[in-house]
Amino acid sequence: MNLVIDISEETEKTTVNLSGEIDAYTAPKLKEALLPLTKQNGLIVEINLEDVNYMDSTGLGIFISALKSAKENNSQMKLVNLQDRVFRLFKITGLDAIMDINAAIRGGSE
Amino acid sequence: MKPQSCVNINKEWDIVGARQLGRDIAKKMGFGTVDQARIATAISELARNIYLYAEEGQICFEVIDNLPQRGMRMIAVDTGPGIKDIGQVMQDGFSTSGGLGAGLPGVKRLMDEFDLQSEASKGTRINAVKWLR
Amino acid sequence: MDEVMNLSAATYKDLLEHYIKTQDEKSLYEVEKVSKNFIKNSKTPEEIVNLHIQALSELYPNLKEDFQHSMNFLLEAMIAYGLAHQEYQQLREKQYELKTEIAVAASMQETLLGTTKPDIEGLDIGVVSVPAHQMNGDYHHFVKGKDNSLGIAIADVIGKGIPAALSMSMIKYSMDSYPEESMSPRAILKNLNRVVERNVDPSMFITMFYAQYIPSESLLHYSSAGHEPGFYYNAEKNTFTEIESKGLVLGVSPDTDYQQYKLKINKDDMVILLTDGVTECRDGERFIESEEVLDVIKQYAHLPAQEMVDQVYKHFERLQDFQLRDDFTLLILRKIV
Repeated sequence: MNLVIDISEETEKTTVNLSGEIDAYTAPKLKEALLPLTKQNGLIVEINLEDVNYMDSTGLGIFISALKSAKENNSQMKLVNLQDRVFRLFKITGLDAIMDINAAIRGGSE
Repeated sequence: MKPQSCVNINKEWDIVGARQLGRDIAKKMGFGTVDQARIATAISELARNIYLYAEEGQICFEVIDNLPQRGMRMIAVDTGPGIKDIGQVMQDGFSTSGGLGAGLPGVKRLMDEFDLQSEASKGTRINAVKWLR
Repeated sequence: MDEVMNLSAATYKDLLEHYIKTQDEKSLYEVEKVSKNFIKNSKTPEEIVNLHIQALSELYPNLKEDFQHSMNFLLEAMIAYGLAHQEYQQLREKQYELKTEIAVAASMQETLLGTTKPDIEGLDIGVVSVPAHQMNGDYHHFVKGKDNSLGIAIADVIGKGIPAALSMSMIKYSMDSYPEESMSPRAILKNLNRVVERNVDPSMFITMFYAQYIPSESLLHYSSAGHEPGFYYNAEKNTFTEIESKGLVLGVSPDTDYQQYKLKINKDDMVILLTDGVTECRDGERFIESEEVLDVIKQYAHLPAQEMVDQVYKHFERLQDFQLRDDFTLLILRKIV
């Protein structure tokens, strides 16, 4: 499976639409796309995970480093529209408490 | 100085010219068909490197006729960017262009002696010898 | 040309001659053996084509010139293949060397991170931990306290393989420097979190579940740093429930406090701890659900704890065609008195 990354920029918010799987193979590509955005002072980076049906711990690692980078650079990262299976990972790892996450908009995770 | 015959390399077609000249010398010296083919392939690799990375350079051939051994030497010289990490380009599995079997490790395998000197932004000089058996 | 080649050359010529006359299967079988001998002696394709050319010209001195040229053409075409073949050979040797080196590292890791399953009165303990590749990114250990208490750590580092294994060694050494048996689970996690936060790459993190069992109280005290939740089996009610635990993974935020929970364990109850290599098993493209893990555990619940975890591991190993995707650790405690 692949990961498609689509970035659309508005004045104060940049939306990153992801679709596919986030795993050890696609994670480097995501990191490359995400980190430069979180380095922009004051920017709101909204990541739409609606079409991400699988993510493993490598993917979580990328979001953690993006969060750290956002804190350092005074930008904001928001995760929206997570599927159940993906949201579960954020919940188990306690990351839902420190990240701005707007959880599932739909149930089924298949 | 020993008699040298040289071919300038600055377009792809020159690779064929270098092969032809090298093969003629090898044939005249008495190399067998397999070794002729190996020598020609080594020339291709050296000439292609010049054509791809240095744009301009020369391949020269020398007949070595010191008893007890006879052989053929080829010298590839260019004034290109040089090779930054020689260890890396001499490693199997590393290739910026040709894929498996190509590149300088291939030349080293095809020839009996191989020597490389390179300096960043000055160029590269490769010296390779095939002995007649 | 060397001896092998000369000998093969003679055989090859005879076989070829015989085959051209009779087209029999026996010659073909014999040439197959010659061919294997070529491979054994690293003969290149161009040398073999040349052998054929030599044999032909001896058998048919008046061979048409066109045909001779065509054979030389084939020889030229084989040179690059010969080179590629030699490179493969070399890479195979290198790969073997690397494998051996990693195997040495893996056995060192096993010795360094090794832990022995302690004998605790009234507890039956089973544990299995298998790496997906050679080195394990999962970690577990046991510490026996003076008052017969038992400390259990189970941890999983993001990713697998060598980087994961290296991070785990760090965890092990930090824990070795604590007076672990006199610290509470929450304090242990708080300390480890600082170590991990300072020492690993920002995209790296570790999850850990730390539990302490106090036999005199029949209580399990535990804290979790974002670890895959384990299960509690209540023997009286015959039910499995997820062990409630919240807490941030290690290495994300320096001043994290961990909550501590307690769980009363009665006779025949079980505590099941695992890593996501268990819950993230895939059956083909499908992920197994946690109920399926429990179903398999139930199936072997009549066995002693060690046999139980071994059987559950075997089940999932088979389900994944004997190719683990992630390191797999499963630990079961059962109170037997």
